[in-house]
Amino acid sequence: MPILERGRRRIRYEIEGSAGAPAYVLVNGLTQYIELWEPYRYTLVAKGFRVATFDLLGQGVSDKPSLHITQDDQVAVLYDLIGELGSGPVFLAGISFGGVIALRYAIAHSDTIAGLVPISSFAEIPPQLYLLGTVMRNGLILGGTSFLMDLLFPMNLSNEWLAQQMHALEMAKRRGWLLNDVYALQNLMESFLDFEPMTPHLSSIRVPTMILNGEFDFLTPRPLQESLRAHIPDSELVFVPRAYHAFTLEKPVLTADYLARFARDVMAGRWHGKGTIWIGPEEPGGQFTAFPADFDHMRALPMRRETPQPAMPEDAKPRETTPP
Amino acid sequence: MNPFLGPLDDNGRIPAYQQTRVSAFLMSAHGALARQLAVAQPGRLQDGLQVEMHAECCRQIEFLSMLARATSWVPDPMLPFLFWQWEAAWWPRPVDCVADRTQARMIDLAAFNHALHAVIRPAALLPETIDPMDPFVQAMRHIEFESGRLMQAQIIFLKSPQFVSVRDEVAAAVERRHEQVRELLASMLEGIEVDTSGRHLIPTAYHLSAKAAFDAAVAAAVAKSSEAAKQS
Repeated sequence: MPILERGRRRIRYEIEGSAGAPAYVLVNGLTQYIELWEPYRYTLVAKGFRVATFDLLGQGVSDKPSLHITQDDQVAVLYDLIGELGSGPVFLAGISFGGVIALRYAIAHSDTIAGLVPISSFAEIPPQLYLLGTVMRNGLILGGTSFLMDLLFPMNLSNEWLAQQMHALEMAKRRGWLLNDVYALQNLMESFLDFEPMTPHLSSIRVPTMILNGEFDFLTPRPLQESLRAHIPDSELVFVPRAYHAFTLEKPVLTADYLARFARDVMAGRWHGKGTIWIGPEEPGGQFTAFPADFDHMRALPMRRETPQPAMPEDAKPRETTPP
Repeated sequence: MNPFLGPLDDNGRIPAYQQTRVSAFLMSAHGALARQLAVAQPGRLQDGLQVEMHAECCRQIEFLSMLARATSWVPDPMLPFLFWQWEAAWWPRPVDCVADRTQARMIDLAAFNHALHAVIRPAALLPETIDPMDPFVQAMRHIEFESGRLMQAQIIFLKSPQFVSVRDEVAAAVERRHEQVRELLASMLEGIEVDTSGRHLIPTAYHLSAKAAFDAAVAAAVAKSSEAAKQS
C-alpha cells in the first residue's frame, strides 16, 4: 500500500499505468475511497493514461485528523501527489467534495496541470446546498454513517441504477460504513464552516476545464455549474444525460470516456472551451451535441432564451469527430 | 489474523474468549471515563457542559451494565496483566498548554472522551453474517451508535473559542489520546487474532456484483465499437 508522507500525516494512494503517460488524478467525493475508482483505473489505463487515486485526509485508510481538517490541507496533499507523477501532462478531476478540492487546487496551482474536470461540483454555497449540507451533517451526528448513506443513495443515484442494485445496497453501504468514521466525516463536512465563495478566484484557473453536470442533479444543480462556466475562462459545460449527482459511480465507463476524450483533445490542441454548452453522449464514443442556441440551458423545461446565445464557434465542436 | 471477530462458534456466535477480551477492554475504558466524569462534576450542575458531562457519565454506566450482562464471559488468564496496562493508559494527563489546572484536566478528559468514542468502533468488528439479535452484537452496535452523539459535546468544547489561541496544542492533545487508544485497541485485537488494517482490501459481495456489471458494460462498449468499425 503506497503511502505519501506529508509532515506527520500519511496518505494512502495508488498510481497505475506507464510512467510518462499523461495522467489523470481523481479526487474522491465525501464518503468515497480509492476502490470506487477501480473502473476508471481499468478504463483509463487501457486508453493509455496513468491514473492516480488517493484517500483524502479523513477518508478510508489515510490519516484522520482528530479535530481539524482544512481544505488547504487537502490541496497541499494533492500538490504532493501530483508532484509524484513527474513531468508529463496531468489532468485533474474531482467529484462533488473532491471537485471543490480540485477547483481550489486549480486556482492555486494551474501551472502544474494540463486540464481540469470539476464533476457535480460548486464554488459557492447557496441556501439550498447549505441547508442540505446541514441536514447531512446533522444526520451523520444523530444517525451515524449508515444514515448518511441511506440519505445519499436515493438523492444521488437514478431509479434505474437503484432498482438494479437494490439487493446489494446494504452491502454497498456496509463497505462505506466500515471505512468511514463519523468524526472524520464530520471534520470533512465542517471544513465548509468557514467556506468563502471561490467564484471571485475562478478566473485564476488558466487551464482547459470541462465542467460535468448530471441532467437530474439537484444537490449541485445547474446554476452552480453555470457559475463555474461563466467564471472559468477556458471552460465548457457538459450535461450528462439522465444522470444524477453521483453519476461517476453509476456510469463509470461513460464518464471515463468523457475524461479520456477531453484529455486527448486538449493534448492534440483541438480543444477550445469558449464557454460552450454541450449535451454529452449516453454511450461511450457517442457524439457531443451543442446545446440548442435558442433554448435556455438553465431551464428544465424547453423554454426559448429571451436573449439568444452567441452562435457556437465552428472550432468549438472538436469531439464530434474524435474516435472513441 | 481475521479482519473481523470470529470465526463464529458452532452456535453462530462470536467466540466467548473474544467477547470476554473485547468487553473487558471496553469496560476498562468506559469505566475509567465514567469515574473521571463523575469526579469532574460539581454536586450542583452550573452550566450546560456540566449537564452534558452528567448525561455522558450516566451513559457510560449504562454501557458498563450492558456489557457485563450481554457478554458470554469465560476465564481469561491474560486479563489481570492487560487490565493494569489499560488502566494506567487511561490515567488523567492534564495538558500543559493552559495555565488553569482545571481547564488543563478538562481538555485531557474531553480528549480521552473523544478518542474513546471516535477510535473504538465495536460494531465494525462484527462479521457481515452475524445474527443481529445476539445480545453481544446488539451491545456492540448500541455502543457504536451512541458514540457518534456522545462525542459531540467534546467537539464543541475542544473547538470552542476559548481555545483558539492554543488550537494546535489542544488538537495535539486529542491526537495523543487517539494514538494511545488506537495502539491499545490494535494490541488487544491482535491478542484475539483480529487485525483490521487490511479490511479495505476485502472484496464484498457488492463489489463483486458491481465489477460484474462494469465488465459487462465494457464488453458492450467494445462490441459496439467493433460493430461500428466494421460498418464503416
